[in-house]
Amino acid sequence: MSWKRVISVVFTLLVFAAAAYIVRTLWVHYMDSPWTRDGRVRADVINIAPDVAGLVVEVAVKDNQQVRKGDLLLRIDDEHYRLALKQAEALVAARKAQLQMNQENAQRRTDLDALVVSKESRINASHLAHAAQADYQEALAQLEVARLNLSRTEVRAPVDGYVTNLNVFEGDFANRGEAALALVDSHSFYVYGYFEETRLPLIRVGDQAELRLMSGERLSGRVDSIARGIYDRDNPESRDLVADVNPTFNWVRLARRIPVRIRIDEVPEGVTLAAGLTCTVIVTPPADRPRPLPDRW
Amino acid sequence: MPREIALFGVYLPSLTLLFLATLAAGWALDRLAAWFGLYRHAWHPTLLRMSLFTCLYGLVALYIYR
Repeated sequence: MSWKRVISVVFTLLVFAAAAYIVRTLWVHYMDSPWTRDGRVRADVINIAPDVAGLVVEVAVKDNQQVRKGDLLLRIDDEHYRLALKQAEALVAARKAQLQMNQENAQRRTDLDALVVSKESRINASHLAHAAQADYQEALAQLEVARLNLSRTEVRAPVDGYVTNLNVFEGDFANRGEAALALVDSHSFYVYGYFEETRLPLIRVGDQAELRLMSGERLSGRVDSIARGIYDRDNPESRDLVADVNPTFNWVRLARRIPVRIRIDEVPEGVTLAAGLTCTVIVTPPADRPRPLPDRW
Repeated sequence: MPREIALFGVYLPSLTLLFLATLAAGWALDRLAAWFGLYRHAWHPTLLRMSLFTCLYGLVALYIYR
């Protein structure tokens, strides 16, 4: 056995060991670190629906326009509600007169001698006065309702945001409670990273996260929370109140994915976020506290 | 280096295309080594060639993913 031969064996084995080490590093990096390519940018989308029904007389915004909280979005025809207000005012006046009359009657009867007016008549008059008082208060409440309805003919933005999918036009009839447009809350953008369940032990609330949009922009964030439930697809609701368990194959299993909510630290200048964008999420656990993966079975 | 390459609008991992590139580069290096007669001194030349290619591709992959 010559030296030459020993060197050639050692060299070959060294290269082989290097290859094995690189493959292992890759494997650990790819399989056992908390990252996912299955992430989505999300935001709170508010369905704006008028609180009163009527013809739309003004659409004050354009599609995709940015609005501030309290800005006018839609104006519903207020003619009906003005008339209703007048009606309510008239009712208040009538009830007030009624109340006055009943109160005076009651007062008069109280002042009269018990020989002139019966006790029954006196008590009745007093009750009538109380009923008139209640009627008057009812009319006042109706007046408030009429005023509220009138003020609600102006549909205003409840948050800062962007008008999206504007599908209402002047002349449309808007129904009460029926969404006319969507408003994306501009302060509510967050990312849902759908992590495989095998990586969950590596993720904790508060960990740093790097977010890469498909267009290449990078953002930073923090793990905000981890979803505590997803739908069990192997046991959907059955019609007969018994479990409908899928017959599955034990050999191959797919890891389910759990949504992890990432709070975005700050959106850099020039980055346009839209709910629905695809995004890669890389969570970096703190270096000083390693989290070993449990044994898998 | 982007992790994805758009191929007619379909986003593929760069590694799939880089595999082909590495294959070509590896073949060239392999021929070069053979030309210098390196493999004549190797202990199992096939193992050495395989390991060399694995190292090459593994380093490319590590460069992209880290």
